[in-house]
Amino acid sequence: MRALWRRLGWLLRGGEFVLALAIVVALWHGLSIWVGKATLVPPPLLVARAWIALLGDTLPEDALASLGHLAGGYGFGVTTGFLLAIACTRFATLEAIIDPLIELLRPIGAIAWIPLAILMFGIGTGVPIFLIFYASMFPVFINTLAGIKQVDRRLVQAAQMLGAPRRMIVTHVVLPAALPLVLSGARLSLGVAWASMVAAELTGSDAGLGWRIFWYQEFFAMDRVMAVILTIGVLGYSLDTLLRGLQRALTRWSPDSEAATR
Amino acid sequence: MTQTQRTLLPLLFFTALIAAWEIAMRGFGQAGLVPGPSGIVVAALRTLGDGSLWSATAGSLQRVAIGFAIGAGLGIPLGLVMGMLAPVNRALSPIVDSLRSIAPIAWIPMALLWLGIRGNAALFIVAYAAFFPFVVNTIQAVRLIDRNLTHAARALGAGNWLILRAVVLPSAIPSILTGARISMAFAWGSIIAAELAMGIKVTSGGSAAVGLGQLMVSTLYIRRDVDALVLYMIVIGLISLGIDLLMRRLQRTLTPWRQA
Repeated sequence: MRALWRRLGWLLRGGEFVLALAIVVALWHGLSIWVGKATLVPPPLLVARAWIALLGDTLPEDALASLGHLAGGYGFGVTTGFLLAIACTRFATLEAIIDPLIELLRPIGAIAWIPLAILMFGIGTGVPIFLIFYASMFPVFINTLAGIKQVDRRLVQAAQMLGAPRRMIVTHVVLPAALPLVLSGARLSLGVAWASMVAAELTGSDAGLGWRIFWYQEFFAMDRVMAVILTIGVLGYSLDTLLRGLQRALTRWSPDSEAATR
Repeated sequence: MTQTQRTLLPLLFFTALIAAWEIAMRGFGQAGLVPGPSGIVVAALRTLGDGSLWSATAGSLQRVAIGFAIGAGLGIPLGLVMGMLAPVNRALSPIVDSLRSIAPIAWIPMALLWLGIRGNAALFIVAYAAFFPFVVNTIQAVRLIDRNLTHAARALGAGNWLILRAVVLPSAIPSILTGARISMAFAWGSIIAAELAMGIKVTSGGSAAVGLGQLMVSTLYIRRDVDALVLYMIVIGLISLGIDLLMRRLQRTLTPWRQA
């Protein structure tokens, strides 16, 4: 049995993914034939055709709108979390106040803010940007705080002994040493930000990929709905891969870089 | 900073914050338009009294439990297979990764079509959200198993099935439980998202609010009760805290040899 697997594995090495993809697509196609309704389970070919049609239609503007929401909310959230954490390590009083506040707010997930955000900002770009901001702030804050706290004291002391000024210690010792944790916080943030973005666009926005899903559902164009859903997956995956590449490039020196970027 | 200062300072700050909030709200004559602490307490007493909060919370929690069980039932076996057989892992992991990148909530139109609004569409979303942390953590768990253990078992004549049962599963449990904790958190977030989306987008005539999300939507659009809205947010936060505590305790009781 093992020998068989090994031989099969040898044969399929590299081609496994293609094979698995083919099987999944075949199963999907079979399912849609078995169900017999193209609206209920749109066959893969139809979805592919819808996707190509969408490329020349609404998909670019929706993706741009979504990425715009993400850029605004994520950029703002990550910056806030990062700066807040740095301020907290500098001023102990601030940390004594902010840390419990964060721990109180964090369990109330971004999703729970949707109704209040709709009330505050109305249906529009405000809801997704606020939700993404809220969702992406916490992981970066928590990881930056932990990252700065676990910096080896001896490194800081060595720099001090060599006469480095405070600013230089921060930029050349503390921040680089904290970078791996900060970046993995940024990646965690991106994951929750992406999910929150879709939820916010579905419920409280008038643009973006999430909003477009329901737009096509109203026309019962389920092949287009599927095409948009798959686009959300591919875009989310690409963004994570991008950030993982950045993480790998910037923290190659770190001993746990290999584990973190897997 | 001393320990007493560390506990007193935030307490003082929060009391001042809540007092300032209440005074500002009343001072500007915004009671009922802007949520306020006293209004939240009143809303809590009212919704607990008439049972609407209880039934909605119970409905949401029930779906989370079922969806979580489905996610575990499908995710753990797949993770075991992918972790133990490298070719399967290489073949499936790009597919799993890209499906994982689809926010669960994006499936809601399809789920509504397939399963209807009677709670089952939300169930699909929850199961989808709970599934992936189980897969990822189980793969990780199997990968991290000490090769010496499996080799020793094989040298002693154990078959694949016995190795799975006696070596792989017990050593994988701590990491699977970590996956369970993440799954549970995802599941709780997704049920609220799914119920909100269903409540907002599906205008079904006279269907009673069946979960916290739908309750929030009807509070927002029909009753316009901002105090209750904030109360529900607090309830959501408390429940996710409770879930996390419960899962941590479970982890500690089930794997006492791990000091996590």
